[in-house]
Order: sequence, then structure tokens, then C-alpha cells
Amino acid sequence: MKRARIVRIILVVLISFIIFGPLSSLVIWSVAEKWYWPHLLPQQVGLFYWGKVFQGRMMQALQVGVLIACVVTVLSLIMTVPLGYVLARFRVPFKAAVLLIFLLPQAFPQLPVFANATVYLYRANLGGKVPGVILIHMVGALVYAVWTMTAVFKSIPASLEEAAINLGASRIRTFWNISLPLAMPGIIASALLIFLYSLDEFTGTLLVGSPFVLTLPVFMYNASQGYELPVASITALLLMVPGIILLLVLERYLKAEYLSSFGRI
Amino acid sequence: MKRLRETSWLIVAVPSLAIVVWLFFLPFIRSAVTSFQTEDGAWTFQNYITAYRLYAGDVLYTIFVSGVSLIAVLIIGILVSGFARIYGGGVVEFLFKIPLFVPFVVVGHAMRVFLAPHGLLNSALAQIGLVNLDNPPSIAFSWVGISVALAWKNMALAILLILGAFESVGDTFLEAARNFGAGWFRQVKDVLLPMSLTSIAVAAVLIFTSMLASFSIPMMIGSGKGAQMLMIDVYYRIVYQHDYGVANALGVVSYITAMGAAVYYLRSVTKG
Repeated sequence: MKRARIVRIILVVLISFIIFGPLSSLVIWSVAEKWYWPHLLPQQVGLFYWGKVFQGRMMQALQVGVLIACVVTVLSLIMTVPLGYVLARFRVPFKAAVLLIFLLPQAFPQLPVFANATVYLYRANLGGKVPGVILIHMVGALVYAVWTMTAVFKSIPASLEEAAINLGASRIRTFWNISLPLAMPGIIASALLIFLYSLDEFTGTLLVGSPFVLTLPVFMYNASQGYELPVASITALLLMVPGIILLLVLERYLKAEYLSSFGRI
Repeated sequence: MKRLRETSWLIVAVPSLAIVVWLFFLPFIRSAVTSFQTEDGAWTFQNYITAYRLYAGDVLYTIFVSGVSLIAVLIIGILVSGFARIYGGGVVEFLFKIPLFVPFVVVGHAMRVFLAPHGLLNSALAQIGLVNLDNPPSIAFSWVGISVALAWKNMALAILLILGAFESVGDTFLEAARNFGAGWFRQVKDVLLPMSLTSIAVAAVLIFTSMLASFSIPMMIGSGKGAQMLMIDVYYRIVYQHDYGVANALGVVSYITAMGAAVYYLRSVTKG
């Protein structure tokens, strides 16, 4: 097995380069005050742009983005926790049709659809406003939440609920006292992923919100297109922080089925 | 009466259904319908004729870029997952989860500064004399840049799905192969791969569709000149020319391409 160890070391070095190479250029750009080619590293390094970014419009974009993400997460949970429970537990009419509608957004490109949704939102006088951006985020968040909530409730043995009902508890009471507490870890994990999705959402925010509602990804896009590379790189690093924290904290708890649909949206 | 009580569950579904129907299902239908209409609402094929005339090349370009990135992702994904399945994942598996948590826009921007003509990669390669900085190759702003960025972002998802499929292949099969003297590569090629073909096909369709529909990465890293990814064409058509007819025709083309991949996958599953 000695060869396997050598291969592993080579692999880890190679992969580290592939993964961290592009990310490291963000770090370097974020502290570059003066950087002309052909120098490998910046001539002048400092935190000038960090100070600048934290005083400017970035903070506003951050606040708006976090506010939107909080509302989206709470609303999505309120709507999908009961729905996921019903879909996981009962054979009800029209179930297939409902599931199909929640499958559609996974299967088709988002941008052309969201462009037409923007027309509806402007007609409803919600275009360019925070509620409009919240609604467009809700589409992706709900689809993701319905599927994960259904998976979460399916993973709880029905026998535990049956025991409670046999002892005389009502359906509602069983849900509150048995199912919900057992589902809590799964609900928290998917709540964090919904929050992250909303925080990182770009396409819908650009179409519906721009130029009036700025969130971090759109702010970063503007800075990058304007060749404010240090500003864009600092914003990019800030955008990565919640995701990396989530990865470190939740790594063991995140199951493949939650993540696979997350990687798509 | 029983029927009525059974359908009452829909009350729970109404709020979320309303949002998804209003802002996805109806716009989806609308984009298909208006692609056959002029601005005054008369029926026409003109949008498709214009789309074909202006964007046929871009459709092929999009399929080409997505296809190349998909093949790269699958090859690396299968090799890495095979290694992780046989010798254990550990650090390798963890490292590959990172891109899953890096937002698309950040990937686009990071690749742009990394792969630019005077970006970090070229500067580093110039230090060891591989690249001449007076005439540096521009990887960003070309199809290679988009491909690399798309592959980088989707690698995590591919490994997650493929490794999941490999994990479900029993150890006994691998032991049997080892007893017959199969090395690492043979175990992947002759045991793991054939036994997980369906799951890999699903992963391939998922990833291909997401690459085809990618918007923020080509927005960040694209050049604005020459051939464009399809979603960029749709966006520009709407934002700069307010031409929903042609934009929606392009949208329908993208739906059909995405569906084509899904149908191909379903066919190969039912046949096998």
C-alpha cells in the first residue's frame, strides 16, 4: 500500500492547487494596493481597500442581502414544514401533480423563465423592490425546501407517531410533540442551506432588483465589471465566509440528498 | 364528503404552490407562447427565424462548452471517486466539497483574476519559464476560461453523486476483482463503473443541464466579443433590445436542449 500513499500525497497537492489556486488570487487581490505585471505579487500590500469597502455601499448591500435571506428562510420553512410532512406521510389526491410542479424548476434553465417572471412582478408593482426580490428567491428556495422537508420527514419512522396516536394523542399534537422535534436537525440543516442560497442568489436578483435593490453578489458583479478588482475580491471573500463556516460546522450532518439538489441552484 | 376532506390537504400546499406557479410555471408557459408572437400578439415564426439567423452558432457553442466541461468533470470525478472508494476519501473528499459552497459569481470572478492574461496562473508559470509574459495566453475571456470555471464549480457535485454510487457497490465485488489481480484502475473501469452507470448518467444529465443554463459564470468571465453562451444572449436580448420574442425563442431552444438530455437519459435507462 506504499504506492497508494504516494499517489494520495500527489493527489492532495494537485487538488489543493486546483481548489485553492483560484481562491488565493482573491486573497492577493484583496490586499493589493499597487500591482502591475509582470510581478508575481503586488508591489504594495495593505488593508486600504478593506477599510474602503466597509464604509461604502457594500455594507448596505450586505444588510439588504441578509434581511432578504432571513425573510426567505422563515417564509420557506413556515410554508414547507407542514407540506413536507403531508407529502411524506399521506397518500393524498393530486400528489403527483403537485410534486411535478415542484420538479419543473429543477429541470429547466432558470434565466429565461425568471425574465418573464420579472414582467409579472413589474405588473404587480413589485419590480425593483425588496418584496419582489424576496418572491423571486422564494421560487428556488421553496423547490429546494419541499424536497428536503419531504426527505427529512420520510426518514423518521412512522411507528413513533403511531405509538403516540395509540396512546390517545391527536394528529396535531403528535406532529408538534413527536415529529417536529425529531425532524429538527434536518430542518435546521436545510434552513441554513436556504439562507445560503438566498444570500448567494444572482440571476433573479439582477433581473428583478437591479438597479434599485443591491445584494452582495450583484454588488460584486458591478465592481468586477468596473475593474475595481480589489473591491470585488474583498466582496467575493466575504461572500464565501458563510458557506465555508457551514461546510466546516455541518460537514458530517449534510447528507448527499440535501446537497445534490443544492449544488444545482 | 370523504373526497372533500382528502383534498383539504391542498390548503397546506396553496401558499408555496401559488408562488411557484405564479413565478415559474406561468412565466414558463408565457415564454413558450410569446416566442410564437410578434409584439402586437399576432402569431409568427419570425422570432425563431431571427434566432436561427443570429444565434445558431451560439447554440452549438453552448453545447460544445458544456459538453467539454462535462467530459472533463466526469473523467476527473470518476477517477477521484474511484480512488476515494478503494483507498478511502479523507482529505481528498473534503477538499472537493469546497466548491459546492462557493457561490457561482465568486467562482466566475476568482477564475477571471486567476486565468487573466496577467493573472496569477500565468505569472506563476512565467516564474518557472513556461509562459512568456510579453505574449501571455488569455485563458479567461475565452471558451477555455468558461469551461474551466464550470468544471471547477461542478466537480464537487459530480464527486458527491458518483462517490455515492460507488459506495453502494459492495466490498465483495472489489475483493473478488482484487483476488484476480485487478489493480486500482481495473477495479474502477471493470467493476465500479459498469455497476454505477445509471447513477452516473443521472449525474451527467443534471450537470449538463446546469452548465447549459449557467448565467453568472459566463457573465463574469465571458469576453462580450465573439460567440456567447446562450443565457447571455437571452439576457442581452431582453436588457438591451427589449426583444422578448427572440429572447423567449432562445429560451425555448434551451428548454428543448435540456429536455433532450433528460429524454436521452430516460431512454438509455429504460433500454438497459
